[in-house]
Amino acid sequence: MQNPAVPKKFWNPYLAGIALGVVLMLTLLVMGRGLGASGAATRLAVVATAAVAPGHVAATPALSVFTAQGHPLDDWLVFEVFGALLGGLVAAYTAGRLQVGIVKGPRIGRAGRLALALAGGLLMGYAARLGRGCTSGQALSGGAMLSAGSWIFMLMVFAGGYAAAALVRRQWR
Amino acid sequence: MMFPLDNLLVEQRELGLVVAVACGFGFGFVLERAGFGQASKLVSQFYGDDMTVFKVMFTGIVTAMVGLALLAGVGLVDFAAVASSATSSTWLVPLAVAGFLLGVGFITAGYCPGTSLVAAASGNVDGALTFAGVIGGTLVYSELQPLMGSFPDMTDQGQLYLWQVTGLPIPVLALLVALVAIGCFLGAEKLEKIFISRQQLQVDPAERWQLQPRRWAFAAMAGIALAAVATLALPVSAPAAALRHPEVLSPQQVAEMVLQEPWKVRVLDLRDPKECAKQRIPGSECVGPTGIAKLGLGDDAGSRMILLAKEVTATAPAEALAYPGRLAVVAGGYAAWRGYAFTAPAMPAPAASAAERQAYQLRAGLHSALTGAQQAAPPAAGGGTAAPKKKKGGGGCSG
Repeated sequence: MQNPAVPKKFWNPYLAGIALGVVLMLTLLVMGRGLGASGAATRLAVVATAAVAPGHVAATPALSVFTAQGHPLDDWLVFEVFGALLGGLVAAYTAGRLQVGIVKGPRIGRAGRLALALAGGLLMGYAARLGRGCTSGQALSGGAMLSAGSWIFMLMVFAGGYAAAALVRRQWR
Repeated sequence: MMFPLDNLLVEQRELGLVVAVACGFGFGFVLERAGFGQASKLVSQFYGDDMTVFKVMFTGIVTAMVGLALLAGVGLVDFAAVASSATSSTWLVPLAVAGFLLGVGFITAGYCPGTSLVAAASGNVDGALTFAGVIGGTLVYSELQPLMGSFPDMTDQGQLYLWQVTGLPIPVLALLVALVAIGCFLGAEKLEKIFISRQQLQVDPAERWQLQPRRWAFAAMAGIALAAVATLALPVSAPAAALRHPEVLSPQQVAEMVLQEPWKVRVLDLRDPKECAKQRIPGSECVGPTGIAKLGLGDDAGSRMILLAKEVTATAPAEALAYPGRLAVVAGGYAAWRGYAFTAPAMPAPAASAAERQAYQLRAGLHSALTGAQQAAPPAAGGGTAAPKKKKGGGGCSG
């Protein structure tokens, strides 16, 4: 492995999509589960809360449900997400893109960009619990399995993105 | 049916977790190489000049869908069974609202939860902060849950699939989705060209829309979909399995059915008759693994629902698929039923909703009846009026 001086180009979108589809298909085929991300965030949140205020976890049904059956991190999805971090790291390193920085448009400061990143994350965390999944688990995996709810969810993700794009345009363009 | 390998979730769990890391590795690697570790690439989708997100996501969906449809056509896997284990129920309004909010969060943060992980792994601080936000957001949801009342569970359609909505066989539907996707890709490239000429960006068109890989990708997707459709003509039981899918009932739905309306269901236990004699779903007939052929289900009038129970989620044999009435299997099989009916349920919290309390009462009654007397419980008085509570979660993201 090496870290090229000039970053490699991104893959052609259709070939990247086929690669993504093959990974998803193998996951569904072997494990009977789809790919996900936000479910691991939920479990990390439970662990963090339990470390600070264990009584609060027991008193909150939406949290205690994840401690009822063993350790909250002892779950397929947590391992899958750990793998995704590793895969992203290796891919970024071998493509010459592993570099600490902040991705932002030219018209916004670093603090503003980070504040919006955090705010957007908060909103997505809430939405992913309500939606029983995020773009990975609900839209991508559920969409491939032709779940009606997943397709509704996916179309509304695009609708929400386009609806709010003008509001945050300054951040990006 | 060889797949999925159920053992990886139960007996060989450690191996399953290693496979999970491998699946995730592939996922993260591909997302990074598609450019999804960079917010600038992702948000371009919503400003019109770069449709990469749409292209990658839908090509991924179509590839996995047509691939599984083909494997199902040749009998290697049951598409509907995988769908049932990998997807959540359809809550129409909550999922629509959640999708919209997630889309707003996406354009605000510049990442979705999965891509924020990959961004963090590539060193992007904004990506790491987005994922920290996602973690916090799930906590906000947990704290606000009592205030939301029954909203997250409203308009519950159970597990609902597009082949049920359209009435089309899965491979035909998969082919249609693939063709619509290809049409949308061509439309998306037209839009990109319009936006780019308006902004007068200096991009070499030949490089931007590389035709060779595109043709190859479109041909592969359509070809696999056509092959899957062709399997419908196979003279074996595969086309029947592709055309007909048993309903999948959660243990709670099974409990409601056998306790409250036992006359509407005929439970066939396909496990070893000795196991069945020891312990079974109330009212089960112990037919054993092969006894179903002698029942002549194909000639039955089909007035009752046939419910099949095996140790794991049952795949319906051809004899059962010939049954003219409703056909169902227990989600997770007898193992899930055992876990549901023979372990004492936890008391619901004081703030629990009416549906949760009702579910608890049903389960507690079932548990005491089965563990106390080993007899079928008496029919519940009155019958429930609240809608049955369906399986929660199940989507990959919600774990």
